[in-house]
Amino acid sequence: MVEVRQQRKPKPSPVRVREAWENLRPTLITGDKQPADVTRDICAPLDRRPTALWWWAFLVAFTALVVGATAVTYQIAVGIGTWGLNRTVGWAFDITNFVFWVGIGHAGTLISAVLFLFRQKWRTSVNRSAEAMTLFAVVCAGLFPVIHMGRPWLAFWMAPYPNTRGPLWVNFKSPLLWDVFAISTYLLISAVFWYVGLIPDLATIRDRSQSVWRRRLAGIFSLGWNGSAKTWHRYETVYLLLAGLATPLVFSVHTIVSMDFATAVIPGWHTTIFPPYFVAGAIFSGLAMVLTLMIIARKVMRLEDYITVRHVEAMCKLMLSMGCIVGLAYGTEFFIAAYSGNSYEQFLFINRALGPFRWAYWTMVSCNVLIPQLLWLRAVRRNIILVFLISIVVNIGMWFERFVIIVTSLHRDFLPSSWASYQPTIIEVATLLGSFGLFFSCFLLFCRFIPVIAMAEVKGVLRAPHHPQEQDALQGDAA
Amino acid sequence: MRQTPSDTQSIDADVPSHLYAPAGQVVSADASSELSRRQFLEAAGFTISLAAIGGCGRAPVQHALPPPKLPVGMIPGQLRYYASTCAGCPASCGLLVGTRDGRPLKMEGLPEHPLSRGGLCAVGQALPIGLYDSQRLVSPLRAGQPAEWVVIDQEIAQSLAQFKGQQKMVRLVSSTVTSPTLQAGIDSFLKQFADGEHVVFDAVSCAAILDAHAATHSVRVLPHYRFERAATVVSFEADFLGTWISPVEFTAAWSTRRNPQPGMPEMSYHVQFESRMSLTGSNADRRYAIHPQEQGPLVGRLTELVAARVGAPLSARLAPAIDIDQERVLANLVERLWQTRGQSLVISDSQDTGVQRCVNYINHLLGNYDHTLELARYSRQRQGNDRDVEQLVEDLTSDRVGALLVTDVDLLHALANCDGMADAIDRIPVTISCAPRVDEFASHAKYVCPDHHALESWYDAEPIASLVSLGQPTLAPLGNTRSVLESLAAWSGQPTDVGAAIRLHWKSVVFPRRLAQATASFAEFWDNALRDGFVEVEPEPVNIREFASTSIRPLIHPAATNAFSLVLYANVGMPDARHAHNPWLQELPDPVTKITWGNCVSISSGDAERLGIQDGDVVSVSAGRDGPRLELPAFIQVGQHEGSLAIALAYGCKGTDRFAKIGPQWFQAEPTVPELGLVGVNAASFLEFRNGTLRYQRSGVTLAKTGTHRELAATQQHNSLELPADVAPFGAERREIVQFTTLAAFAKDVHAGAPEQHHASEPQLWPEDHSKTGHAWGMVIDLNKCTGCSACVIACQSENNVPVVGYDEVRRQREMHWLRIDRYYTTAFQDISVLHQPMMCQHCDNAPCETVCPVLATVHSSEGLNEQIYNRCVGTRYCANNCPFKVRRFNWFEYPRNDSLKNLVLNPEVTVRSRGVMEKCSMCVQRIEAARIVARTQGQPIADGAIQTACQQSCPANAIVFGDMNDPTSGIHAARENPRIFRVLEELNVRPSVSYLRVVRNRGEEALRG
Repeated sequence: MVEVRQQRKPKPSPVRVREAWENLRPTLITGDKQPADVTRDICAPLDRRPTALWWWAFLVAFTALVVGATAVTYQIAVGIGTWGLNRTVGWAFDITNFVFWVGIGHAGTLISAVLFLFRQKWRTSVNRSAEAMTLFAVVCAGLFPVIHMGRPWLAFWMAPYPNTRGPLWVNFKSPLLWDVFAISTYLLISAVFWYVGLIPDLATIRDRSQSVWRRRLAGIFSLGWNGSAKTWHRYETVYLLLAGLATPLVFSVHTIVSMDFATAVIPGWHTTIFPPYFVAGAIFSGLAMVLTLMIIARKVMRLEDYITVRHVEAMCKLMLSMGCIVGLAYGTEFFIAAYSGNSYEQFLFINRALGPFRWAYWTMVSCNVLIPQLLWLRAVRRNIILVFLISIVVNIGMWFERFVIIVTSLHRDFLPSSWASYQPTIIEVATLLGSFGLFFSCFLLFCRFIPVIAMAEVKGVLRAPHHPQEQDALQGDAA
Repeated sequence: MRQTPSDTQSIDADVPSHLYAPAGQVVSADASSELSRRQFLEAAGFTISLAAIGGCGRAPVQHALPPPKLPVGMIPGQLRYYASTCAGCPASCGLLVGTRDGRPLKMEGLPEHPLSRGGLCAVGQALPIGLYDSQRLVSPLRAGQPAEWVVIDQEIAQSLAQFKGQQKMVRLVSSTVTSPTLQAGIDSFLKQFADGEHVVFDAVSCAAILDAHAATHSVRVLPHYRFERAATVVSFEADFLGTWISPVEFTAAWSTRRNPQPGMPEMSYHVQFESRMSLTGSNADRRYAIHPQEQGPLVGRLTELVAARVGAPLSARLAPAIDIDQERVLANLVERLWQTRGQSLVISDSQDTGVQRCVNYINHLLGNYDHTLELARYSRQRQGNDRDVEQLVEDLTSDRVGALLVTDVDLLHALANCDGMADAIDRIPVTISCAPRVDEFASHAKYVCPDHHALESWYDAEPIASLVSLGQPTLAPLGNTRSVLESLAAWSGQPTDVGAAIRLHWKSVVFPRRLAQATASFAEFWDNALRDGFVEVEPEPVNIREFASTSIRPLIHPAATNAFSLVLYANVGMPDARHAHNPWLQELPDPVTKITWGNCVSISSGDAERLGIQDGDVVSVSAGRDGPRLELPAFIQVGQHEGSLAIALAYGCKGTDRFAKIGPQWFQAEPTVPELGLVGVNAASFLEFRNGTLRYQRSGVTLAKTGTHRELAATQQHNSLELPADVAPFGAERREIVQFTTLAAFAKDVHAGAPEQHHASEPQLWPEDHSKTGHAWGMVIDLNKCTGCSACVIACQSENNVPVVGYDEVRRQREMHWLRIDRYYTTAFQDISVLHQPMMCQHCDNAPCETVCPVLATVHSSEGLNEQIYNRCVGTRYCANNCPFKVRRFNWFEYPRNDSLKNLVLNPEVTVRSRGVMEKCSMCVQRIEAARIVARTQGQPIADGAIQTACQQSCPANAIVFGDMNDPTSGIHAARENPRIFRVLEELNVRPSVSYLRVVRNRGEEALRG
């Protein structure tokens, strides 16, 4: 019987096995890297002096940061009137930027936590920088609710702390207060998650550093990591737990942000679809931003072997699926408006598409729904330049999505007498620029001082060189 | 001496006269420095001097001291009211001056006043900010330099003495003088001179009406119009609810007949023929847009038709034929007029005496005289004689005038059409201006002898021939100014005190005219008049002759041209140039255009399309090659007749460049005045004298685009209840924000006009969040009475310390008014209809603003008020975003409050808000609390009517009711039973405390379009 079987099924040739293997367990890191190569490659930028390109990039980012800081200082000194807001449109760039940056942050958590739980190994190359991006994006986002206040020096009143003002407390009914909790929780968890993931790499830096100061600093922050099996075991337990903890945040934070709008009575805001719609949008924009950053990083930091086209393609597929969800949400909004019989709602959506801000609406639709459809094509997904451009387009589109939701809903609400338009001032544009400056300054400093790729994790997905592939396959996935 | 309208207790008249110290001396001692609050309060004790009557003069007391003993009834910090007379315009409405610690703060209407009936217009409300104007003259000027009164008086007396014997003319020019005492003073002053004459020049004159009555009734008077008796009102261009003669009085009277009741669906029928969209036209039952030149033919044809209907057809045609549609309109109208004869009223603002004679004839034929128009008790509110003015201009330019005295009117500004006037005035030996600031004439005058502000001085007025009222000073003059009456007396060599002069005049002239039942003691008569603010007396007999039908002659009809016809008019908030320095009025949105800070050229949409003009495009308007020319932004006005243009007068006044930086200053702020440097442009250059009257219409005007653009600072950007056609959802093209119906539909169903949903009665998902077991404050606004006159807007601004923000902030849609008037156009009828809706915080029971504030800065009171806590607000603006009515106002900047004199206008009961906080209507919570304190000290519940919000108090139409909705006996409870009631955005279930009563237009349609 056995022989007969062997006769019927010829032994596969080695070439075909490799192909099948490649499909089943794709090579994530190219260039036949050894663990030592990984350490060398990834720590190289930390040891070298920064390149001219880095300096230029930092100069641009820092200039933008200074411009933004000047604008914010002026605005705080003189008044919110230096923004283009009016009695009808009370929020515009400020909250648009806030939601935009919170959204950007979401991809980091998604990649590091959700994909981790789903055992998506390709995430290892991108998770570190995605998490860093999350952190910086949340910092940028957190600035806006503070500076958008009429009296930002009283921002601490948003915190429910025991005070001497009698029974005066915060309003737990206000979604803006929920925001405070959601964002601060998110910032805290993201920072801890990122830091815990950093610990093994910090130990690596400690161990190979020439500089005394760096060694000491890395020593302190690596918390006495010794690389023992016990340490690894505990580390991985903590990481798993944190991933589990961070996962609901991916959904809760943007859900709460969406409630700023969903709980209001303004047509265009008062919508039950907002929580899922906002979460999908947030992940969409975050993935786009991760792609943008990763494509730059792999070129600038020469990490093509670690961030391969395969990574980019995986990100593209994820982005496309999110883009489709967002597109579905856009369509659903129109359907619900038509179906509800609510004439204010109907007017709002017609006005969004055909009214004075139609340019913003159609920018949003083109950038978020139409152009990402190109990603259905494999050739496009594998074309780094095109993907880079699409990721930029999606970033723009997602910024406009928030602008459209906020401004077009407010500018023509119930009473026609109060309808108004909105035009940003230089101060607002400079503040937006400044937030990008802050983000990129932080990111560039991160690239300079911290390994941009999680070395310890990447080493885990290297193809083991001494074992034959078949044997590795029999062992299963031991990550 | 009244404190409150109902309090009849008089303060002792024998307060020591030293208390009547002219505290102004304190100020004038260092007039150049700013007046501190402390100094001011030192001077404030003089308030009680109001009790001291006459004979006090400007006693040689150098310092005013606080009284050692408080006068009876005076409590520091408490608001006290004094009855007075408004001096904002010659209409002379009754005024209640609210003073606190000797500081007049709040102007209110005098409820018992027979003309204004408790109403007060925006101009009257805005008096205080004019009083505390740091740029008012504080001393007389001689050749432009400050000088002493003694020196000036001596010089003037000497130079005037030389004219006594000579045939050189002495001319005193004033606007209408309603004060009998001042008139007597002027007469006795001019009597000294061989050729002394008083020229009455009204910047917006009604001379043709007076001239017409001189022709038809042999008396040159203005009839007293009684709109409360008119069942049919036909107005040709006369904006009687806005600016014409006595708008508050007319609004009060007109609104009494705009109250259809369920059992009695009756109201007056008001037809307006006009070329521009006036406030009156916007409230008419039917408004017909006509070309300015069609007014004559229409009036002529109406005269013919009425005469034919009466049975006394005219032998000759009065005017050329009118078109067939208009013929049909007039035929219907004549029938209405005939049915309501004796109760109808036809008026016109035409300055063509022939037209006015026809109007008189129509009223005569319909038997309206002595019913809706009174000549025996004629009106003295307009006395201007344009023939005299024309003569004066001729005399001036031919150098026949030796001395020219001007008071109350800026001769050069108002007669900008007369060339060479400035040079002619420079050549006159003696020129004296009594203007409170250096206006255009004053800048050419040799002497400027500033008059007191009305709140600083005694004065009297006789607006109607049987009604004399008193104005009393409420604080010592802030500067070294002097009443015109005192100045004239001083120059006549008989110095007197204005208070004494008025008392003397009253004793000798007014007291003898007292009614039969009045007291026989002059002291008592005077005290009563002072307490009440006015007194009714017997009219002086006028010799009215039989109607002279011979005066009806065919009208002169100008040849039609293709060029534009220009209509010059007065803005509701800016009736004449004297108020140009009033920032509240400059920022008051015009009730129709909603434009602030300056005038514009109103143009019809058809013409604008033809010429490619958009709102804000600066256009050049000119009349002939060598004629006047001006450049102003254009404004496309709904309802403007094609071929006509309209420009407001009283703009472009000298000195208004002071407002350039009135708003917050930051690097992108635009100055409030354009490059020319003044607020608006003076359109008086287009006036012309024709057949003895000054004409406010000019034909043959051309219009051209200049290519520049200046955005108009309008507070409303979308003006229609109909949504823009390109984005309107099918079946919901019009929003039911203001509900309205017709009288015909109302007669059939009192609920007509209500949309088909009723949400309030539906069961609620949640239990009542705020149960109001005690008071439940609420408001009902009768939109059928409300004319949109905007008096309430200024009342609110004055009461609640609402800042002025300037052109740039208004343009950016950041005006701060807590109470705004939404004005909507609708095409629900065949013609354009206009609806006005006062909109302020609706104090919702389910307030969307309250739930979203993260720091609980806006909360609900147990009495139904939505309260804003300024010092808790951090300024997230979430509440404003979530407000469906968009009534919340944010302090975008720290608004300038660095003028310590101007700050005296602030109401100490209301917090001045700093930047970064939200604010909004509080339903005058300070007034509620004040009434609560009074009630509590008396151990009584708060009586209905004891609380009047600022907007309600001064509403000329009496359209606002405020009170406790839980009190079944209250006025508001009754008002809420009215079937016309509705709440705005009822379907949102926010449950506002403010309700509105549906508009009913007296029309025959039973269903609306669309």
